[in-house]
Amino acid sequence: MKIIDLLTKIDRRIIYLILFTVVTLPIIFPSAKSVRVMPPVEKLYNAIDNVPEEKALIIDFDYDPQTLPEIEPMAFAILRHAFRKRIKVLALSLYVQPLGLAQNALVNVAEEFNNVAMTREDSIIYGRDYVFLGWQPPPLIPILGMGESIVNVYKNDYYGNRTDTLPLMKEVKNYADVGLLVSLSSGDPPKWWVEYAQNRFGIKVGAGITAVSASEFYPYLQTGQFSGLMVGMKGAAEYEEQVETELNIRVRRKASESLPSLTYAHVVIIIFIVIGNTGYVISRRTKGGRP
Amino acid sequence: MTFIILASIFALVPPTAVRAYDTPDDRGGAITIEWQLSADDAQLQRYEIYRSENGIDYEKIGLIGRGRNQIEDDTEDNKQYIYKVAAVVDSVRAFSEPSSTVMSSAQWLNRKKINIIIAVIVFGGLILFFIQHARRGRELFVREIAGLHAIDDAVGRATEMGRPILYCPGIGYIEDIATIASLNILGEVAKKCGQYETKLINPHFDPIVYTVAREIVKESYTNVGRPDAFDPDSVYYVTDSQFAYAAAVDGIMLRERPATNFLVGWFRAESLILAETGASTGAIQIAGTDQVSQLPFFVTACDYTLIGEELYAASAYISREPLLLGAIKGEDWGKVIIGAVLIAGSIIGLLTVFPIMSVFD
Amino acid sequence: MKRNFPLLLVFVFGILGIIPFILPHPMVQNTDEFLRNNLLKILAAFALILGLGSLLRVHFDKIRRKGQNWEYSWVLIGTFVVTSIIGLFGGVSGTGILPTRLGSFAFDIWTIYFNIEVPLGAAMFALLSFFMASAAYRAFRARSTEATLLLASAFVVMLGVLPLGNEISPHLPSFAQWIMDVPNVAGQRGILFGVALGMLATALKIILGIERSWLGGGGE
Repeated sequence: MKIIDLLTKIDRRIIYLILFTVVTLPIIFPSAKSVRVMPPVEKLYNAIDNVPEEKALIIDFDYDPQTLPEIEPMAFAILRHAFRKRIKVLALSLYVQPLGLAQNALVNVAEEFNNVAMTREDSIIYGRDYVFLGWQPPPLIPILGMGESIVNVYKNDYYGNRTDTLPLMKEVKNYADVGLLVSLSSGDPPKWWVEYAQNRFGIKVGAGITAVSASEFYPYLQTGQFSGLMVGMKGAAEYEEQVETELNIRVRRKASESLPSLTYAHVVIIIFIVIGNTGYVISRRTKGGRP
Repeated sequence: MTFIILASIFALVPPTAVRAYDTPDDRGGAITIEWQLSADDAQLQRYEIYRSENGIDYEKIGLIGRGRNQIEDDTEDNKQYIYKVAAVVDSVRAFSEPSSTVMSSAQWLNRKKINIIIAVIVFGGLILFFIQHARRGRELFVREIAGLHAIDDAVGRATEMGRPILYCPGIGYIEDIATIASLNILGEVAKKCGQYETKLINPHFDPIVYTVAREIVKESYTNVGRPDAFDPDSVYYVTDSQFAYAAAVDGIMLRERPATNFLVGWFRAESLILAETGASTGAIQIAGTDQVSQLPFFVTACDYTLIGEELYAASAYISREPLLLGAIKGEDWGKVIIGAVLIAGSIIGLLTVFPIMSVFD
Repeated sequence: MKRNFPLLLVFVFGILGIIPFILPHPMVQNTDEFLRNNLLKILAAFALILGLGSLLRVHFDKIRRKGQNWEYSWVLIGTFVVTSIIGLFGGVSGTGILPTRLGSFAFDIWTIYFNIEVPLGAAMFALLSFFMASAAYRAFRARSTEATLLLASAFVVMLGVLPLGNEISPHLPSFAQWIMDVPNVAGQRGILFGVALGMLATALKIILGIERSWLGGGGE
């Protein structure tokens, strides 16, 4: 009986303590390893890579601080990819909370490139190479409105500049001038982009999502409604791997460094499930098969 | 050599068969221009599109890369336009023949949505048919839904223990169908709370949902003859920050120790936090959501879970209103039709190895 | 009248919500844009005022009655007032009429957001991992054949999405991907069909006035 209790009634505080230890140690002693890039991430990479020269990439920043560890590395990797290939970028957010995080990503990655640029042509210039459109409530307004005219929806950018005066916005008028839209989100926005923007205006959509939402977005990848998909921290690590391998951009890979914590946490959970089931099987046999 | 190069450039082949037409199924203000690619397409830098209103003076209105043969132009409705397309290499342009005159206009119907209109009419018609069927007094069978069946016991448990009931409608907005379905169940739960004088705690994420819920709960108490028992502070707005809301509800669970937790509505990542905290307090938990990503967490941590459309069926199930039950029947027949079409389509797809099946191409 | 007017409003606005999807004409689309751009925003603003009023009333009442943990109500009201003043008058990055900097110490709305809301939200989200572990340990039991199959699939997917899975077997990540792509999608689609039809039926019932419990009464 004592063994059964030991196996089936472990105090949850012990579980929490062990989990805390295995998650924290790899963060204190980080190491980034190579990961195998799976087809959904490869599709997204290729979709971004194939954005035509005259068209833009829209990045929808819709993650909040809670999901930042999973999705921010995706944002950084995509921006590095886009800036390296000189793909024009329009950034926006459907909610107010992610604005600061979007600005943080744009400014930091632009600075990475500008620190090594030798000429103005090599630099990433705001207004010429990327524009941060900001936020327009409620979410459906920009999704539907940008099919007609982006500057009509976002009359001013995030910094208060009139969008119709920015060089990039003179070339990118609406979805017809957009090669791909990537929604980095912890919620439903990728679905809204497909349901409203893609259905009505035919724009291609890709997504970067949290691992917990993966199961509900896979149907969209399978039907081709998503041009590619990054799922959780592993997806972010795969994109980082792709960017480093294909474009030779060697920077700190935050998602890849977090994978060991993820691995050990999964292993600990599996071990506890096995322990619990072992206790359950023993207790069933002891009680003559009664559950 | 220069002469040969110049000669080859001056022989640049223009695009042909330029066709301009009013962009179909739109709100007007757009003309689509198509053309056959130039024979020299591989050498081109781009195509430039020119527009005229009188056939004489042309202005450039756009450009597109080589290999592409279609572009859309923003226009004024009911104004005549003529288009030309030029193949471009450096400063040399080879112009096509002009297109025919075209005008843009708004269409009243988006023909690409006709299949959706048909589907809505078919499924809506089915639902209305079964509602009529129910109006004639026919008995309609609906299988037992454990979560809804347990509501009475759950409320009774709270009453006997002298502890409150916590009703959490999730973090959806009023336009989410799951939130509306949750408010329907809230009305029924509030009626029972009014009857048995059980304390109800109903924290909200969205101010609009809060205002609607307040009226629903107040009306429920009035309907069971206990308007005096309604406590306006039992229904209140907390915050519209997802995890701040989760923290607030967790705090309520740990302080107030409700005997029964209802977690019914539209949830995201906070679902497991709420469900597991509720489980740790020993409360009986009835959950329901249409968010498939959150269902596993509720199934794991709660005693009863309403999956997807079981949540939408709640109001019909609890009230046993024939009209509402008729709508559920219509939904079920809709699923039968979808299932039959899927099976038929799969069989036809498998049989496409046979040449005769090319009739379906 | 009290019941019929809201029903009429719901019917009219329900139909006005469907029509723009099918009719692209500017007369229809412009009306739709006006409703979305203007009316909805005004409604949301008023509802926010009502919600905030409710929140403050609940806590002031608790303070007045000296209810359980009433001291924390002062914390809530105090932080609400301070953050509102800083947000309204201090500007986004300290550019408003209220000074929000003492030497190098800034307390503008972005500083408050990044140094208080962000870490607190991240901490709450991080709790998920612990709850996941305790819920999995407590509830994942191989009680039946189906439960055992589910458990085995869960193990395969959990290992397959990690670099460790590739080291155990190079086929494991592909098998995990197949489970996500095929059986998972099939199950999801089944639920999604049901949900979509349920949404259609519920929306029809509300627009046609068959479902009236949202009004505060039963269906009549």
